[in-house]
Amino acid sequence: MSQQWVRLPERGNPLMLWLIRWIALYVGRPVGRALLYPITLYFLLTAPAARRGSRRFLRRALGREPGWREVFRHIHCFAATILDRVYFLTGRLRPFKIEVFGDQLIVEQAATGQGCILLGSHLGSFEVLRAIGMNLRHFPIKILMNTGHNRDITGFLNALNPALAQAIIPIGGPDTLLRVQESVAQGCMVGVLGDRVVAGEKTVRVRFFDRETAFPAGPLLLAALANCPVILFFGLYRGGRRYEIHFERLAEQIVLDRYRRQEQLTVWIQRYADRLEHYAHLAPYNWFNFYDYWGEEA
Amino acid sequence: MEALSPFELEVARLLVETLHLEDIQPEDIAPEEPLFGEGLGLDSIDALELALAISKTYGFQLRSEDKENRRIFASLRALSEHIAQQRTR
Repeated sequence: MSQQWVRLPERGNPLMLWLIRWIALYVGRPVGRALLYPITLYFLLTAPAARRGSRRFLRRALGREPGWREVFRHIHCFAATILDRVYFLTGRLRPFKIEVFGDQLIVEQAATGQGCILLGSHLGSFEVLRAIGMNLRHFPIKILMNTGHNRDITGFLNALNPALAQAIIPIGGPDTLLRVQESVAQGCMVGVLGDRVVAGEKTVRVRFFDRETAFPAGPLLLAALANCPVILFFGLYRGGRRYEIHFERLAEQIVLDRYRRQEQLTVWIQRYADRLEHYAHLAPYNWFNFYDYWGEEA
Repeated sequence: MEALSPFELEVARLLVETLHLEDIQPEDIAPEEPLFGEGLGLDSIDALELALAISKTYGFQLRSEDKENRRIFASLRALSEHIAQQRTR
């Protein structure tokens, strides 16, 4: 399985990030969005690995060979969500039209006071979830996040909203998941992204876009150990000012039997992969895994 | 290879049992060898499972705020020493 995303050189530099922030906050979204075109072009020309990753995914999602315009649109979609993160993180939600599907599910879960795992992916923007969940609804949401491989972006986001930064559980030491388990036990909803494999962690192989694909087993093992429900979420960017958040219940409880653990995990993770594939078909340009996802570039 | 103390062997058994390490004998674990990454190759989900098993067996909680966690989880010896100091049963 590919761990290439960890090694990919950071795209953009701190100066560019601060520039985006400055433009977003002080000049405005229309100008910011106009600048996304040259920025996208820059990435298209200077990031061949990302370009290949995009093509590879679009070929599967669209069922045909993607053209340049589609690869451009894909990278542009990613850049647009990064710009909008500035607004989400600083609580400027008014200009956006955010539609929530399955809202009842999350409201009911919050009302129980019981913690849960919010299982998401790198399809779309999870920032929109944080923005809605924490700023508007005041749900106790924390996010498990790999902060190490992209320090500049992390520093940039933390500076935007130190309170939100507090709600990040950084992936790292042996006690990371202990912290997640404690948070869930205290009634937090912990967001985990379940579509990228990290070296040395357990994986399960399931069908995804008609190929056997490795997914991390961690999020569901975690739910089993924490004895809590798992709710899926997808924060899709639908163009312009429109975002959609989809919530779906994956499991009320994950019970794993010692001797059939791998088999049972496979069933759950296949369900997750099926839903991820469903939403990836619905919004293919939201697929933000710009690397050799299936590990085909040997 | 260095022999395990009786208590280290007990913790090694708990570790092998909890994490279903079928191909590892408790007495074969080197006491100073790293448990995570290199060495025994455990991951963070193993750490959580182990922490939960330790609290059940020895009656104290390993906490994520503990600054010493990296050291505590560094090796079987370090972990055993920590349990020996903290255990309530």
